[in-house]
Amino acid sequence: MTVNGSVLLKTVHLPESHTLAVYRKHGGYEALALALQKQPDEIIDMVKRSGLRGRGGAGFPTGTKWGFVPKATDKPKYMCVNADESEPGAFKDRIICQKDPHQLLEGTLIGSYAIGASRAYVYVRGEFAFEAGRIREAIDEARKAGLIGKNILGSGWSCEVSVYLGAGAYICGEETGLIQSIEGKRGEPRLKPPFPAVVGLFGCPTVVNNVETLACVPHLVSRGWEWFAGIGTERNTGPKLYGLSGHVNRPGIYELPMGTPLRELIESHGGGVPGGRAVKGVIPGGASCPVLRGDEIDVPMDFDSLTRAGSLFGTGTPIVMDDTTCMVRAAWITARFFAHESCGQCTPCREGCGWLERILVKIERGQGEERDLDVLLSVTDQIEGNTICALGDAAAWPARGFAKKYRDEFLQHIREKRCPLGGGSLH
Amino acid sequence: MASVKLKVDGREVVVEKGTNLIEASKQAGVFVPSFCYHPGLPVVGVCRICLCEVEGRPKLVAGCATPVEEGMHIITRSAKVAEARRAVMEFLLIHHPLDCPSCDKGGECTLQDYTIQMGPSRSRFTFEKNTWPEEDVGGKLILNKNRCILCLRCVNLCKDVAGVDEIAVLSRGEHTYIGTVDGRKIENELAGNIADICPVGALTSKDFRFQSRPWELKNTPSVCPLCSKGCNVVVGYHPRRNEILRITARTNMDVNQWWICDRGRGGFHFIHDPNRIVVPVQRAGGTARTVAWNAALPEIARALRGVVQRHGPAAVGVLGSAELTNEECYLTRAVFRDGLNVPNVDFPARPQPEVTYARFTIEGDQNPNTRGARLCGVAPGPLGLGVNEMIRAAAAGTIRALFFLRGGPLERFGDPAIVERALRQAELVVVLDLLPSPVSDRAHWVLPGVSFAEKDGTFTNSSGRVQRIRKVLTLRGDTREDWRILQDLGRALHVLPSADPDPERIFIRLAQSIPAYSGLTYASVGELGAPIAPATADVAVG
Ligand SMILES: Cc1cc2nc3c(=O)[nH]c(=O)nc-3n(C[C@H](O)[C@H](O)[C@H](O)COP(=O)(O)O)c2cc1C
Ligand code: SF4
Ligand code: SF4
Ligand code: SF4
Ligand code: FES
Repeated sequence: MTVNGSVLLKTVHLPESHTLAVYRKHGGYEALALALQKQPDEIIDMVKRSGLRGRGGAGFPTGTKWGFVPKATDKPKYMCVNADESEPGAFKDRIICQKDPHQLLEGTLIGSYAIGASRAYVYVRGEFAFEAGRIREAIDEARKAGLIGKNILGSGWSCEVSVYLGAGAYICGEETGLIQSIEGKRGEPRLKPPFPAVVGLFGCPTVVNNVETLACVPHLVSRGWEWFAGIGTERNTGPKLYGLSGHVNRPGIYELPMGTPLRELIESHGGGVPGGRAVKGVIPGGASCPVLRGDEIDVPMDFDSLTRAGSLFGTGTPIVMDDTTCMVRAAWITARFFAHESCGQCTPCREGCGWLERILVKIERGQGEERDLDVLLSVTDQIEGNTICALGDAAAWPARGFAKKYRDEFLQHIREKRCPLGGGSLH
Repeated sequence: MASVKLKVDGREVVVEKGTNLIEASKQAGVFVPSFCYHPGLPVVGVCRICLCEVEGRPKLVAGCATPVEEGMHIITRSAKVAEARRAVMEFLLIHHPLDCPSCDKGGECTLQDYTIQMGPSRSRFTFEKNTWPEEDVGGKLILNKNRCILCLRCVNLCKDVAGVDEIAVLSRGEHTYIGTVDGRKIENELAGNIADICPVGALTSKDFRFQSRPWELKNTPSVCPLCSKGCNVVVGYHPRRNEILRITARTNMDVNQWWICDRGRGGFHFIHDPNRIVVPVQRAGGTARTVAWNAALPEIARALRGVVQRHGPAAVGVLGSAELTNEECYLTRAVFRDGLNVPNVDFPARPQPEVTYARFTIEGDQNPNTRGARLCGVAPGPLGLGVNEMIRAAAAGTIRALFFLRGGPLERFGDPAIVERALRQAELVVVLDLLPSPVSDRAHWVLPGVSFAEKDGTFTNSSGRVQRIRKVLTLRGDTREDWRILQDLGRALHVLPSADPDPERIFIRLAQSIPAYSGLTYASVGELGAPIAPATADVAVG
């Protein structure tokens, strides 16, 4: 796996990159010292001006989110770090947790300071036990160095950070599911409104941010928002970790500016498709994003461009599929994931996801009928927009995308009563 | 409370701030369907059948979880809303067994009703359905998960109203199910409410299951007689069988909100007990004989008069009952205290441990009419004796006649050995009751009284609320309403100038003479009851 980059991934190749000593040697925690000399509002303003948008999938402007936290409240405020990274295709936060946990902690501390929180939780995906250990070690080191705990760096401001290990549910990556989980409850999204900024963890104002989002923060604080805003395209700024996987010669994590063209990512950085085969489709940002056909990959990888292209940027982690891939099977595997991960709370997602999966299995096995395709599309319409959280949409979008973009291949399965690709492959 | 003006399908309506779209629509006369929403439970917003359009918002919103806003326009009659409802109905039915003909909920099932109203008539789901075995989950409930639509009402009833996490959501996705924790049985005494609020036939009452179709029942509003709380109930009885088959909760925000306890819910079986006392019985010298009312009452009256003539009215002890209605308590006083000048009139307390749940209390007094009995004068007169003293006086031979308006175990009236002696010593023991008891087993006369479902009347609950019970059953055997028995006895004793034809008329008299009830009538008491006059509360007529 190739891993390279100059900002967020600058030090990950170094031995002992996860330690405080190495982090500090490369300027670590200088941004925190700088931030603590400013007013919290100044930091929020900086983040707003930098144009940083959340890297967790929705691309919500981070500064704006921080600004929603009410100032006049007696309640404690909380910062939650979303390290639940579980979407198929997404593998970008893990490297930060593993190789550069102090970068994450520094961003977390600055964010906590900005929103007035003195308690932060890092919610780590259950399977990331090793990474959770690394973050815990980093917290201990930082505490010993006076970077976490009481009166941080003599500023008078105190903040505690702790790790909360999940139990293996994708839905706990949804911000309110995450909050429920930290509260020790069943991992189920809450009804919104109220939004976490107002009623979040333990009923208190809370910000939930993605790992990569927070990792950007120290850099924009020390180098200035102008620097950050100068990277990428107009409304999509800053560096971005692209996790490239699937049928490419050099899968890996590439740190490149926001808006890097998808084709460039696949062909120049990823080294193209093995054996010189054609790109049949690309899921651009994690399994929930509708697939792009091979002829649709001349698109900048950023939130707005992919939305315009009828898909989504998501976590910016493309899965490339070459022409040996059975798209029905790819759709089925995606649907199976969401059916398995639905929390089961609301009717359309609970019942609809399993139905989608059943139809896709049927078609892939060569038992499908033409009307199954209509039912499939209709079920996606019936789920979309009618659920409590976006998991329902996340299941509906890709199923619809595959069925519409590869309709002929679906029909071929139905007419030939078999998978024309012999089951295909999807690594 | 601030109010909010909005429109629902073009109709203007003004509602309280904080009202949700379902309730606001209802106030505007527009129906919005709901499964999971229940006004007495936390909003969960999971079923999604209540999706509404709000002008200017791109996405549909859950009516139960969305509060009104000034100037809002709710749209329920749009293609988008109709499509969403149809979608939710289709989803809810894909794994549903559609076994209405053999489902106990049929006829009062929200899912069945909505399917007829708006559901798709055919399913496009061609796969095998998920199935689950039926399960006894305790709490007198049977769980059939096949029919469950995961509305979470049962979970939240236990969690929020009872305050115990006895039902949980388990697993996830389409395998989600509700169940008890580690297979334990539900123990809280509010669980029976789930059978009322489960919108489908998933959690049904073991007691009522397969007894009758709901449309065969006649439903009459009444009040639970099992404690001083006076929960409002609906008595469901089968007219042809002349039998009560179930009791369900009736909403009364001032008393029990939407709930009743399982004692009240199951507390009607005694009415149909085969051991019911159904004819007057006289016991003498080890033999018992049945006696017709027109012979029994004059004989009892003669015997009572005899005691009064020989030993004075203080030789009579009247053990009244706060299980009887206000009207009957009023008659108890009229016949014995005012009529025969008996000073010894009282009733036994029937305490029980109070059971406090998060949002519901089963009260510590098993008498449904303690307040009313006192107010209506079932209390010792000047120099009169209370229950225990009467019993002791009878054991000592100074009280010669004991008149029990309800029997029971000996210890209800005092030290059992003394009660035993009192009953043996007295020359006249009369017991009016429904079922044989240690007290009635030792009586000279046993008269058949009736239950709360066999007569009209009123109770006054612990907070001073006057509420009506109603006669729903035809009387069995030679049983007679207690008010009628008291009145007939009063006539036989020549102490009541006239007889009233029904408890409503007695109540008018009562309200005229007892200040606490002044101004009240059956009409003003109505379905939900009315409070006694506050200033006079608890001042018994002495
Ligand atoms: C089903 C579902 C799963 C999600 N999983 C994650 C996740 O693993 N990590 C993450 O950062 N955000 C995840 N999100 C997005 C979060 O809800 C939230 O938007 C995000 O953490 C906010 O951080 P950001 O503003 O920094 O992007 C998920 C959302 C949904 C609907
Ligand atoms: S959309 Fe799916 S995952 Fe989200 S709350 Fe509903 S059932 Fe749960
Ligand atoms: S058993 Fe009934 S009340 Fe409980 S979740 Fe299922 S449908 Fe709702
Ligand atoms: S709380 Fe008392 S009045 Fe209410 S149902 Fe239970 S026993 Fe009856
Ligand atoms: S009634 Fe609103 S979601 Fe169930």
